[in-house]
Amino acid sequence: MVSILLFLPVVFGIIVLLSNNKIVTRISLLFIPIIYITVSVLEWFGINWIILPGWLNIYFNFDSIGILFLTVLSIVFLASAIYSIFYFDEHNYSAQQETVYTSTIFLFAAAMAGVLLSTHLALTWVFIEATTLTSALLIYFEKKKSSLEAAWKYIYICSIGITLAFVGIIILSIGSRSFNSLFFSDLYLHAAEINPFWLQISFAFILVGFGTKIGIAPIHAWLPDAHSEAPSPVSAMLSGTLLNTAFLGLIRVQGVMVHAHKESFSNFLLLITGFLSLLISAVFMLQIKNYKRMLAYSSIENMGILFIGIALGKPGIFAAMILLVAHSLSKTSLFLTSGNILHLFKSKKINNVQGLLKKDSITGWIWIISLLSISGLPPFPAFIAKFLIVKAFFAAGLAWLAVPFFILLAVIVYGMGSAFFKMSFGEIEIEDRNKLRLNYSAYAGQIILLFLLLIIGTNIPYAVLNLLKNAAGFLY
Amino acid sequence: MSNILIILLGTSILYVFAASRIESYVKTLAFQGLILFLLVILDLKEINWLNIAFLAVETLAIKGFIIPFFLLRVIRKNEIGREVEPYISQFYSMLIASGIFILGFVVAYWSAKIGSGVKPLYFGVSIVLIVASLFLIVNRKRIITHILCYMILENGIFLLSLSVANEMPLLVNLGVLLDLFVGIYLFVIFFNKIQEMFDGNHIDILTELKD
Repeated sequence: MVSILLFLPVVFGIIVLLSNNKIVTRISLLFIPIIYITVSVLEWFGINWIILPGWLNIYFNFDSIGILFLTVLSIVFLASAIYSIFYFDEHNYSAQQETVYTSTIFLFAAAMAGVLLSTHLALTWVFIEATTLTSALLIYFEKKKSSLEAAWKYIYICSIGITLAFVGIIILSIGSRSFNSLFFSDLYLHAAEINPFWLQISFAFILVGFGTKIGIAPIHAWLPDAHSEAPSPVSAMLSGTLLNTAFLGLIRVQGVMVHAHKESFSNFLLLITGFLSLLISAVFMLQIKNYKRMLAYSSIENMGILFIGIALGKPGIFAAMILLVAHSLSKTSLFLTSGNILHLFKSKKINNVQGLLKKDSITGWIWIISLLSISGLPPFPAFIAKFLIVKAFFAAGLAWLAVPFFILLAVIVYGMGSAFFKMSFGEIEIEDRNKLRLNYSAYAGQIILLFLLLIIGTNIPYAVLNLLKNAAGFLY
Repeated sequence: MSNILIILLGTSILYVFAASRIESYVKTLAFQGLILFLLVILDLKEINWLNIAFLAVETLAIKGFIIPFFLLRVIRKNEIGREVEPYISQFYSMLIASGIFILGFVVAYWSAKIGSGVKPLYFGVSIVLIVASLFLIVNRKRIITHILCYMILENGIFLLSLSVANEMPLLVNLGVLLDLFVGIYLFVIFFNKIQEMFDGNHIDILTELKD
């Protein structure tokens, strides 16, 4: 299974590059995500074939939390692959451009799968850096001046940040000299033997390093630029899966802190950075003029809430897992729909968009329903997650923190909501109405995602609930 | 012997602080690659040819030769001016460099005192390299110097990993090396594109995106 996830995209990437053919490219672009989904669903039920040779097999394995993240990755990957086909048609890309895009996105997905599966801390680092390198090429795909600037900032800031994480990893290996291993299983088993002083320093470094990739404030500078300048399906992948991937790396390191009973230190740092991210996104949300940047700040907000959830211990982490799923699916839907809006209005400015519902009603409705989902209104799962986080504040004896939490969330929802309604309603000239019919692939991905969100929010299937519970049981 | 090499490595960063020509950065990089290779060879406890070959490729070939050569070619091809153009004047930079060195030696002394099991001199000088390269990154205007300082940062981290006796598995080392190599390659590609599109090579020109 591991080899399918890691090597199949690479093999297909090469096939696609060699074929230089649009049909082969598009079929493989849909085929690989479907394989990913199949593998993750098989993993839910514990079906796993081992094909790898033994020495490689110890480096990659599935664990309860990895399966959840892999499932989210596969679903987002499929939705964005479907949308990519519309994106190709819209821009009239040549066969060569399509193949380059497709093979890079395959490498990107394989690198992310590598992070989710690796059982060694330093190997996790290697794959996180690989995700930076592959996705930087995708951000620069449209070859505009602004996308070049975004790609440069992204690759440079993230490389420096992730380098600091490597410093943290080396420091951790100073502290864990007695057993001399950086496999997560060994780290958890011998956590009590790790020198607490080195452990805490290394956590701080790793928080900064992986935090740069997660896009947590105050090291989020690359995130709005990269998310707004990348092609829409790539923005969706960045927001819906890349941030999660780095977040999983951090959760696994937090696991070491928990097993060493030093979680009070890490929880404090996570809580502070989490609230800082909420504050930053609330401040910026009220004055942003660009709707794709607005979505990017909303990602910073949600990552902040995830940090808070993890910091609140056992009750918080279950809420964080629900929010993670809810955020990934709804943000993917939003970013893909923002591609439709960009196509319809040819502008990323909020003020240039008006009467979306009349211009293209399906896009308009998807846009509004996704907003409801990301803002955490019932019946969507983000509501349950935020409710559980407030409950966790009380359980942790930090009830007073619920007040700033609510205020910041209200500011963010107000900022997003007012911009979204300004875009969706309003008059347009009669002859423009519903004229620009888009291809089915401009809607299919988002509709699937919203449908899944509704199912999770209203009548969650037993298997999915189990998946979330198992993932939440990873830390405590 | 290895202590002298470490001191040389530390001095090389002082040279970078003092140098006003970009090409001297590249020469420093090549020099650092050579010293790291010698350090690795001196540290070997057992003769394992696969390991030696890998380390030689990593330090001598890639860090000492291929990457500096590649960067030198890029610099000459783009006819980048000679000056490094700092934000803070050379004099104050040297003062800050001395401060970083004092910090490094304090850290080295302290790490020996608490018995952390790291090699003190390696540890201290690697901290110097890491902090100094981060300072150089924020204090230089040209994008190409950012790439060069990133390499110095990587050398510092390599030295830091040498200060710890533990070894990473070969697979991890391979991955790190591959990331570094591809990273530098992409940096240079983007750098060339910035030269073309923005008509300049200062970091100040990247101001299209802001809130």
